[in-house]
Amino acid sequence: MTATAFGWLVLAFPLAGSITIALGFRQWRGRTAGWIGSGAIGLAFASSIGALIALQSRSPSQRALTSSLWNYIATEGVNVKLGILVDPLAVFMCLVVSGVSFLIHVYSVAYMDSDRGYSRYFSYLNFFVFSMLLLVLAGNFFLLIVGWAFVGFASYALISFWYRRRTAVRAGIKAFVINVVGDVGLVIAAILIQRDTGALDFPAVFARAGSVWHHNEWVIVAICLLILVGAFAKSAQIPLHTWLPDAMEGPTPVSALIHAATMVTAGVYLIARTHPLFELAPTAADISAAIGALTLFFAGTVALVVTDLKRVIAYSTISQIGYMVMGVSIAAYSAGMFHLMTHAFFKALMFMAAGSVIAAMAGTQDMDRMSGMRRAMPFTSVAFVAAALALAAFPGTSGYFSKDDILAFAAERGSGYWILYVVGTVGALMTAIYAFRMIFRVFAGEPNEEARELEHGHLAHAEPVNPLTGEPEDTDVGFPGPEHHIAEREAAMRAPMTLLAVLSIVAGVIQIPHVTDVVTDFLAPTFADSRFADVEPSVGLSVLTLALGALMSLSGIAIAYLVWVRRPGTSAQLVARFRRTHDFLIHKWYFDEAYDLLVVRPMTRLGQAASRTFERVVIDGVSQGAAMVVRAGNSLVRVAQSGIVRYYALALMTGVTALALYFLIAAK
Amino acid sequence: MLSILIFLPLAGGIAAALWPGSGEHGGRRAGYVSLLFAMTTLGFAIGLILDFDAGFGGISNVTGLQHVTDVNWIPQLGIHYKIGVDGLSLFMIALTTLLWAGATAWSSFREWPKARNYYLMLALGETAVLGAFCAQDLALFVLFFDLMLVPFYFLIGIWGGERRVEATTKFVIYTLVGSFLMLAGAVATGILSAHGGHVSFVLSDLRAHPLSKGTQEWIFLFFAAAFLVKMPAFPLHGWLPDAYRAAPTPVLVVLSGVLSKVGAYGFLRIALPIYPDAAVQFQELLLVIALVSILYGSVMAFSQNSATLVVAYSSIAQLGFITLGIFSLRPEGAQGAILQMVNHGLVVAPLFFIIALLAARAGGTDDLRRMGGLAFRAPVLAALFLIVALATLAMPGSANFAAEFLILNGVLKAKIVYAIVAGAGVVFAAVYMIRLFQRSMHNPLARGAESRDMTLTDGVVLVPVVLVILALALYPQFVLHRSQNAINTSLPREILIIR
Amino acid sequence: MMDIAWYLVLSAFIFCIGVAGVLTRRSPLVILICLELMLNAGNLALVAFSKMTGNGDGQIFALIVMIVAAAEVVVGLGVIVAMFRNRLPMDVDQMDELHG
Repeated sequence: MTATAFGWLVLAFPLAGSITIALGFRQWRGRTAGWIGSGAIGLAFASSIGALIALQSRSPSQRALTSSLWNYIATEGVNVKLGILVDPLAVFMCLVVSGVSFLIHVYSVAYMDSDRGYSRYFSYLNFFVFSMLLLVLAGNFFLLIVGWAFVGFASYALISFWYRRRTAVRAGIKAFVINVVGDVGLVIAAILIQRDTGALDFPAVFARAGSVWHHNEWVIVAICLLILVGAFAKSAQIPLHTWLPDAMEGPTPVSALIHAATMVTAGVYLIARTHPLFELAPTAADISAAIGALTLFFAGTVALVVTDLKRVIAYSTISQIGYMVMGVSIAAYSAGMFHLMTHAFFKALMFMAAGSVIAAMAGTQDMDRMSGMRRAMPFTSVAFVAAALALAAFPGTSGYFSKDDILAFAAERGSGYWILYVVGTVGALMTAIYAFRMIFRVFAGEPNEEARELEHGHLAHAEPVNPLTGEPEDTDVGFPGPEHHIAEREAAMRAPMTLLAVLSIVAGVIQIPHVTDVVTDFLAPTFADSRFADVEPSVGLSVLTLALGALMSLSGIAIAYLVWVRRPGTSAQLVARFRRTHDFLIHKWYFDEAYDLLVVRPMTRLGQAASRTFERVVIDGVSQGAAMVVRAGNSLVRVAQSGIVRYYALALMTGVTALALYFLIAAK
Repeated sequence: MLSILIFLPLAGGIAAALWPGSGEHGGRRAGYVSLLFAMTTLGFAIGLILDFDAGFGGISNVTGLQHVTDVNWIPQLGIHYKIGVDGLSLFMIALTTLLWAGATAWSSFREWPKARNYYLMLALGETAVLGAFCAQDLALFVLFFDLMLVPFYFLIGIWGGERRVEATTKFVIYTLVGSFLMLAGAVATGILSAHGGHVSFVLSDLRAHPLSKGTQEWIFLFFAAAFLVKMPAFPLHGWLPDAYRAAPTPVLVVLSGVLSKVGAYGFLRIALPIYPDAAVQFQELLLVIALVSILYGSVMAFSQNSATLVVAYSSIAQLGFITLGIFSLRPEGAQGAILQMVNHGLVVAPLFFIIALLAARAGGTDDLRRMGGLAFRAPVLAALFLIVALATLAMPGSANFAAEFLILNGVLKAKIVYAIVAGAGVVFAAVYMIRLFQRSMHNPLARGAESRDMTLTDGVVLVPVVLVILALALYPQFVLHRSQNAINTSLPREILIIR
Repeated sequence: MMDIAWYLVLSAFIFCIGVAGVLTRRSPLVILICLELMLNAGNLALVAFSKMTGNGDGQIFALIVMIVAAAEVVVGLGVIVAMFRNRLPMDVDQMDELHG
């Protein structure tokens, strides 16, 4: 079969899975829906492999294939087909997305068991995977935007999955609206592209880009900036990042899949896909790299102080995506995609392990209440440590090589890009610190109450209470189901975690600088038209960055060990000494408050002003005013109608007399 | 043949009113008779679509009209009974028949006082609207346009909710002011464009003999006033909140879904082709009105507590988008506008039906503060509501998005700033629709609310419309293909060349 | 035959008395009588003219006027009797319910 046929299969299986589960949602007993969903994604992964093989059997210059189904819009000036583009970049993303999704589906089969919305969950999850695959396989901007929006919708549906929870509902609408802002940016960019190049499909647009726009012309810079609006909204970069930490309201596997491994990487994919446009607009690319660097720093600082376990991981995600954005913005495409892949592995693993911990803690996510869980949860702690090692870029792990790849490229680009290198390295230090902050706070030290219960074989249970509002959870809609599932007891949770742990540690071997080059070679056909296709960090520079990276990682782990294990009171002392800084960080640099002040409150007030004042005074005023004028005229005329017959008679006589006199005189 | 389509509903209404025993049991029998005729009309409309020649390849007639009937009705005044259908009106006719069938079905499952009159009035409304869409003679169009008002005066005034008399009065006065201005303009057009001492109101004749620019301008403004009131657009929307709140649900569905489109259709059919110079002259003014409608409607929509008013104000915003597309004076914009007219009618109908269902579950009120958590035992209702809500906010993947994409395409190529501001309208749409969905379906179950799924009779009305929405989302080209040539023959060449 | 002018002056005189009565009196019965005066003044003028022109038209018209007057008196007296029977005040100024 051709690569494009495999491409359509990749799309068809998850969609079919989603619809099947949805239509029969009342029928499925036990874990059936979960296995259907997982099976669908498994088939999608198999099809991706098929596409890979089919693609690799062709010569490198022939590896961009398109195929379309029907004319979606074919009218004056706008021509859109439902078409896909299968090329190395797309296949790479398909493999990562479907592979990691499959593992998370299997994990969810056990984790979400006994949740009342089990079927709904898997239907949405399958739909999400379909949307994400549609996004990466799309062959034109229109279909990309469709996939983009579907992914946003699936994210909203899964964030507010436990929809009787006010905090979840609020988080959902926040994510959705920010996503729509990104959508609008993309739409306007697409229209501008269509206006200037006359096409919307990728091959045509990229072929004509060089002849239509001049280097750094304001139009192409504007287009790229609009694309960045979309990318940043989806990938949670400053200033459109505020939805991601709140998105932790969703079930943990959702956080693993959507907000770690796949959806948030869509922005990185988009920049990589539209790289010909960004290379024509270096200003936009530089702005993108700068924001990526700023974001990774910002998120790193916040991750150092927050105490909610999932939110630490969320900020860590924002930070790591900052690296990826930085990477693809400075044209280190394969490095960025490599980090995307390794991050998918270890971040998904980290969320899965966190889910296990939270289940053991009877739903609490507050690290302040966790300690010493390592003896009660041996498997989970090993998995978590593996993920943290990769995140902290411990020498030899996959995260080590992928993060370094990006930083080395920045150093190689030289001049102003050294700032990015410095920021990235400082970020690496922070990453190591907060990664092991989690490990040491949760697993080291004396076992807490839940851990002790678990050691005796009894899973802790508590009346669930919403940590943010304190109101009791509405368990009718599932949260949390009456049963909790931890990895130690569920094979379906252990298997994917084991695989991901192995991958997190060893996957780095495929892209060791100057030794192996699997990712770069595979992606080379897509990025062959890049000006920087042949740029590669020199051996000396690579060794330097690798060494510095190892140093940062090890120092970070050491510092974390010191603060949270060796000298337990240190963190409290630090908080007390740097109270102002701590407040600033704990409030996430006051972004939410700023948005509330600048956007939410003025809009609400505008709405109230419109409905209370304007509508009532002006609009109603028009109708009331017209009515009043008529009534005034009426009261003037009314006077003559007194009802007294004699006056009528007088009026009559006067009139007749006047007429008669007139005619008499006129006759003269 | 087209005349049968137009007058069949009225025949049904009369049959329903005169049928023996139709007044008993709240008018069940009258409802079924009326429904039968409405479904037949729908069948006719579907046949019309299947039979339609999109005009690609082969020779199509000059004016592009099909199924034309031309009778010299009142020779002394030059008024012809001329009706015909082309790509512009084809889908409006289909939308009308579909929504009226749905509204009649919904009504026939419920009991009404004075049911015979109710179904007669409902049917008369359908006939008037179909006549307006098919009319190819200016006087005939004005006749049907004004006729549309009569049944709605009764429908809202007699069968409406609280404050219905006040609402109807406002509605009628606003519409009549516009209509009289339009009448004056129409008469002036007919007389002034008379050539060779021979007055004619037939649209193709009027197109062939355009008036002088100055005359065109004031007549265009008169027509614009009438159409803007109908849609409604800011600032002529004063009748909207009261009328929408007072109207009974089936009436509201056709009022918002179809009647508002007659205004937009009027622009495309009459105002642009016959007064092209004025259209170019006033393009910016109408674009500004459209833009303000979008923004004002959206801002009002997300600050309302009544679910009905949220959708009502959102209609102002959506019709603002349609106006934006029309007055981009570009074929993409016009195509987008036509598609969006169909889309909006398709989404607003199930929205109002669903709001009626929600109100029934929240103790009879449509106040969002009294709703919440209704999705729990109502998965089917929740799923349908979600699909419709997503379509309304023009989620990419829906036909609404395809239409908005085309509209923004047209506007951006005409005047780029308007497109960017309109983008804000898209974000607002997301806010108010998700807010509507969440406040009613999510969050903990509100006190005094009960959650139950929809019944089979509700489903019979809702599901077909949602299926059409989904079908169109997969293949919007179905509409675009057939309306394309109409744009070229109805938008005058001069406008297309200028751009 | 006397000069027609005398008849016309007499007719005008009676007419004015009638008008004055209608405009100033408040009792419906008196108004009715004054109305009759006006009508008959008109009759007088009609007959005078008829005699002057030698035509019978004026006299025929006068007959018609008399019929109308009779009909009107029937209705008027009926209204007055109804007023009396319903104990309404016999004062035309107080019958003002048909005001604006």
